[in-house]
Amino acid sequence: MLLNLEKSKLAIMKKIRGISVSEGVAIGKAAIIQRKILHVSREHINAADTSKELSKFKQDIEIVIAELEHLIQNYAFSQDQKEILSTQKVILVDPEFVDRVNYLISEENCSRENAISIYFTEVADIFRNMDNQFFSQRLTDYEDVAYRLLSHVLKKGSNRLDSLNDKSILIMDNITPSFVTRVFEKKIKGIITVKGSRNSHSSIIARSMNLPMLVNTSGLLNEVENDQLIIIDGNNGEVIIDPLPEVLLDYENRYQQEQNQKETLLKLIDVQAKTTDEKIIKLMSNIEIPDELERVVKYNSDGIGLFRTEFLFIDREDLPTEEEQYEIYKQIAEKMSPEPITIRTIDVGGDKLSSILNLAHEDNPNLGCRGIRISFENIPIFKQQIKAVLRANVVGNIKLMFPMISNVTEIYRAKKIIEECKHELKDKAVEFNPDLPIGAMIEIPSAVVTSDAIAAECDFLSIGTNDLVQYILAVDRDNEAVASYYQSCHPSVLRSIQLTAENAHKRNIKVAVCGEMASEPIFVQLLLGLGIDELSVSPGRILKIKNEIINSSLYNSQLLAQKCLLQKTSAEVMELLN
Amino acid sequence: MIRKRIMIANKLGMHARPATLVVKAATKYRSEFKILKDDMEINGKSIMGVMTLAAEFGSELELVADGVDEEYLIKEMEELFASKFGEE
Repeated sequence: MLLNLEKSKLAIMKKIRGISVSEGVAIGKAAIIQRKILHVSREHINAADTSKELSKFKQDIEIVIAELEHLIQNYAFSQDQKEILSTQKVILVDPEFVDRVNYLISEENCSRENAISIYFTEVADIFRNMDNQFFSQRLTDYEDVAYRLLSHVLKKGSNRLDSLNDKSILIMDNITPSFVTRVFEKKIKGIITVKGSRNSHSSIIARSMNLPMLVNTSGLLNEVENDQLIIIDGNNGEVIIDPLPEVLLDYENRYQQEQNQKETLLKLIDVQAKTTDEKIIKLMSNIEIPDELERVVKYNSDGIGLFRTEFLFIDREDLPTEEEQYEIYKQIAEKMSPEPITIRTIDVGGDKLSSILNLAHEDNPNLGCRGIRISFENIPIFKQQIKAVLRANVVGNIKLMFPMISNVTEIYRAKKIIEECKHELKDKAVEFNPDLPIGAMIEIPSAVVTSDAIAAECDFLSIGTNDLVQYILAVDRDNEAVASYYQSCHPSVLRSIQLTAENAHKRNIKVAVCGEMASEPIFVQLLLGLGIDELSVSPGRILKIKNEIINSSLYNSQLLAQKCLLQKTSAEVMELLN
Repeated sequence: MIRKRIMIANKLGMHARPATLVVKAATKYRSEFKILKDDMEINGKSIMGVMTLAAEFGSELELVADGVDEEYLIKEMEELFASKFGEE
């Protein structure tokens, strides 16, 4: 006790570094949620009480099943999550489980917590003794159920969310996507996790909700206590614990500025994205997982300009089926209808898919088998995806886009495969919509130079600026050592965008930008001036970019772009933009 | 009583997801349902039982149904196994 007092007297400001998931400042009280260790008493009950205990056990099961059903209905967005929870339900009604616990209660006078714990310990032993590692890993499903059930019996589970309010900054070891959604409803200020990565499902959701979040803050739990004042600095990737008064004041000012800006931006939700001289710009969202849809709808974007489908394929042990993909695409198309959704076929390097596709290791994955090349190497998987899209398009306005196009022959080949898919669906008498607009991602220099030929075969083009900058400047965007060479406004990039737009317009098709560049307010006028018709950004950035569009004129943007195109260096371009 | 030999045709074998499907389908019927593999015999309506089979791709099982609706139970199981549980 004395030690604690000393500690709080001497408390000094501490900073811990992390990886920022979403920008913005949050100031609040630490609310640490950890999985509690459940203590199960080994006591026995009186023989007279067994029938009461049996009926209580029956009730426990019913309540936890109802809880699971609630989770499935309201918080499980992906098919995976639904299946995991549905397996947990089946575990709870397993006759072997129920019989064993009933036996332990009635014949051995165990309390129900004791009986439940005995059963799950026995199960764990069986799993641990299995030879096949794949099966032994299923133990986690059982551990989850055991935890869920026992925390209900011991009345420990219910207050996990109750401790959170609109002043909390939640701190956890790691967080699941459904939990992010639930704590968001508590209007908390931010989230910090000790583990986690910037591009996990949970992080993507927090980002699209504009909820400040920091991950990978190792050592944090040793430094922070419940209810301590902490600050998340999402702009610099830092947690500040017990800030000094002057530091706190500085952050309070920053926070206020951000809030004021947010309020102003919210007024733009129903405003159409058009320039002062009436050019309508389609302002769309990039999404990675279906969970983001709610935000897309909330911020009223003009459709989905880029649905990255990688998340259907990575972080799992098996491939998604055509049916599973169909359900997801259909769900999104229905929700967005009549606005368009652009689905991009798988775009990952072989490294990420290697666990399920058995791909060879590559020395240079960025120049290796990725994007459409992966699809061409795995035609059955490619066809599954195309068929799912063709079928889902019965309900909506879907477009299909191919990544990593370097040559128009790849478009010929992809089109041929689409035709084959249509025939195969027709032969099986499966309903689909044959009218599917297709487009190419323009992100490889050879595609820019030959964009006239590619535009002739496509219904739209979309420029992926992140990869375009990487490939045109030959700079790895994840390599710190060459970070200064990564220049989004390099004259070669601007000329590439302009040439692509010109070639698209000659063919009367639209051209979009869906890379990071479209999300930066500073580049908006430049992109419009270079001839871009559509911008696609993460849902959380929609209003910021809209604000920029409605305060620009197309005429001035074109003048600005013309001037920028005459510059020789990135620095000169930046000077004009500032 | 009906006995039926059947092969596991999906690559990942009888993991949690297919096991859930088997148990859910079996519990719809009143008949008793057992699954035999090598020298193991388990209750096909128990997910723990089905998972402890650790039935991998290519392993052979014997399904045994006994009761008023045994035919329908076996028929549904045959369809379920033939569909590879919707997997590869």
